[in-house]
Amino acid sequence: MTQLLLFNVTNGLIIGAFYVLMAIGLSLILNLSNVINFAHGGFLVVGGYLAFALQPYLGFWGALIAAPFLTAIIGWAIERVLIRRLYGRDPLYSLLLTFGLAFIFEDGTRYIWGAQGKPVGIPEALARPLSNSLFFITGYRLFMVGVVAVTVTLLFLLLRYTRSGVRIRAGTLDLETVAALGINVRALRSLNFAVGIFLAGLSGVLAGGQLGLEPTMGASVLMPSFIAIIVGGVGSLAGTLVGGLLIGVASGITAVFLPAASEAIMYVLMALVLMLRPRGLFGEEGLLT
Amino acid sequence: MGHSKPSLPTVGRRTVLKAAAAAGVAQFAAPFVRSARAADAIKIGMVDPFTGVYAAVAQNELIGAKLAVEQINAKGGVLGRPIELLVEDSANDVGTGVQKTRKLIDRDGIQFLVGDVNSAIAQAIAQVANEKRVLHIVSGGHTDPITGKDCHWNVYRVCNTTKMEANAVAELLFKKYGKRWHFITPDYAFGHTLQEAAAADLKKFGGTITGNELTPLGTTDFSAYLIKARAANPDVILVLPQGSDMINCMKQIVQFGIDKQVHVAGLQQELESLGSHAPEARVGIWMFEWYWRQPGVPHVEQFVAEIRKRSGGKVPTARTWFGYTSVMSYALVANRAKTLDGLKLARALSDFELPAEVKLQPNKCYYRKGDHQLMTSSFVGRAVAKGKSGDAEDLFEVDAVVPGDKTAPPDTETGCKLTWPT
Repeated sequence: MTQLLLFNVTNGLIIGAFYVLMAIGLSLILNLSNVINFAHGGFLVVGGYLAFALQPYLGFWGALIAAPFLTAIIGWAIERVLIRRLYGRDPLYSLLLTFGLAFIFEDGTRYIWGAQGKPVGIPEALARPLSNSLFFITGYRLFMVGVVAVTVTLLFLLLRYTRSGVRIRAGTLDLETVAALGINVRALRSLNFAVGIFLAGLSGVLAGGQLGLEPTMGASVLMPSFIAIIVGGVGSLAGTLVGGLLIGVASGITAVFLPAASEAIMYVLMALVLMLRPRGLFGEEGLLT
Repeated sequence: MGHSKPSLPTVGRRTVLKAAAAAGVAQFAAPFVRSARAADAIKIGMVDPFTGVYAAVAQNELIGAKLAVEQINAKGGVLGRPIELLVEDSANDVGTGVQKTRKLIDRDGIQFLVGDVNSAIAQAIAQVANEKRVLHIVSGGHTDPITGKDCHWNVYRVCNTTKMEANAVAELLFKKYGKRWHFITPDYAFGHTLQEAAAADLKKFGGTITGNELTPLGTTDFSAYLIKARAANPDVILVLPQGSDMINCMKQIVQFGIDKQVHVAGLQQELESLGSHAPEARVGIWMFEWYWRQPGVPHVEQFVAEIRKRSGGKVPTARTWFGYTSVMSYALVANRAKTLDGLKLARALSDFELPAEVKLQPNKCYYRKGDHQLMTSSFVGRAVAKGKSGDAEDLFEVDAVVPGDKTAPPDTETGCKLTWPT
């Protein structure tokens, strides 16, 4: 029993790491642009399928690097053409827009690549469990956690030590002052949006290696990402990080005792946090509107 | 300045919450599919989940149904009139399916209904068709009650019942691969009846169930369930989820190396799913409800060739055959009974045997009178990693073709009591 529990906690952390990658991109965009990006799952799907399309030419490693960048470029273009127009309006406008985009992405991938799922191959060396007893820790899953850890660390370093990063953080706190200081807020938001979408694209490639690619796969990971943000607290990237890991572990532990509730537990956790600490674990008080 | 609220609108916690709630709803919204219509044509309707997790199999049913319509119209139609297929998307949602069915019957005036892949929707729309006295062939919903305790005089079914699927595979599994079974079961009507049927067979043979993991529809990560299944130390792990759930589950089983230690099997496997598996994940013992490579069986090769022309070169799957057979059955029986009346057609379809050019299988294939279930064969065999004999879509090695009479329980045991209107 203890072993089973330990297995599932570890397993939950692995799954949680994946939610973190999704949720942090979502959170970045939400914090600076006030856009609830419903199309985030759609961008994940685009990233995954781009990797699938590029794999024959670039191999797995090439696709792993190229696909997120391409997704980010698509995201950047969409921000410039569509989303930018809705800044300054009620957030519900951009929500509706991204909601529509999510459908376009889903049906677009279905149109191009078909409704039937596509397999994404991963390097032979990663496709094996590391040990016989810890069979659920495969090379690939460990690699995934590694990629998430490196990416998130890099992102936090960028936000702390680069000029653009500091501006993004400042803009999250008080965009008006940042604008008043002569910083190009439009360009800053474009950059920030592209970074967020890059993370969605990367999640897509990573997910493609572990799951089958399917046009509808975005929707199933979008919800946990939202929950991660709400549990962690809107406005806090660190909160999103903790929130993602927390729901991963919670659903892992629940799977031992009551498998049917392993998904519901995320919502229970969210309800609890909202009742006891409505702003989320690390959320800012000021955003309680 | 620092303490004043920014004047730009901000996203608050409540907005995010509302958005999250809407995300749940979003999964049910969907576009719809439609086809052109002719004036004096006999309208038949198809309701299937063209969006959502079953989109790929539903699409194949449609390809099959369209070929049938084409062939029927080329041979003079039904009672001298052309038939026209109206297609609606149930979006894998019961409410939507019912609404679309009502629309097809009330507004479009269809004479015959085909669908749905999803068992729960199939059951619900069968109820509607019954109310409206329209002949309905369930093409792809497998849950038992459709031709069991919830059977209706106007409802027939082409695909197997879950009981038939379980019976086709269970004995072989037990004898050859072991008596301790662990189930991974999708948590809805289809999964439950499939699991119960297999569990009943196992009990009869004297085996043990080491556990049953109920996985919600749309599960992407099966690791928690697989950890439990593996810890229970079974001889066989039975993978019952379908579509993308099955693909994710199999991929994880293979990545975890579980297939090297435990036999992996399932009851229902489909070419759509197997084709989407990574080659290394194509393992295990399964049953197909129809298979496209049947050397020596008449008309199969022509059918495959006709479908290839209409599907961008892809071979027909069991689903393609379901769609084809459902529509063909309607035309055959209407032309034979010389009527469009739902009740008369339903009577005429009892014990109706499919001709060789429609059944496309070696065994006798007929709609059983007692429960309206098509007695169709099961193709039992093993998944193949890479296509055989140079064909990338030949992914299954058929070991036995078991006739429907052998896999179906007697109609007195299905719980079906047909009450005919007077």
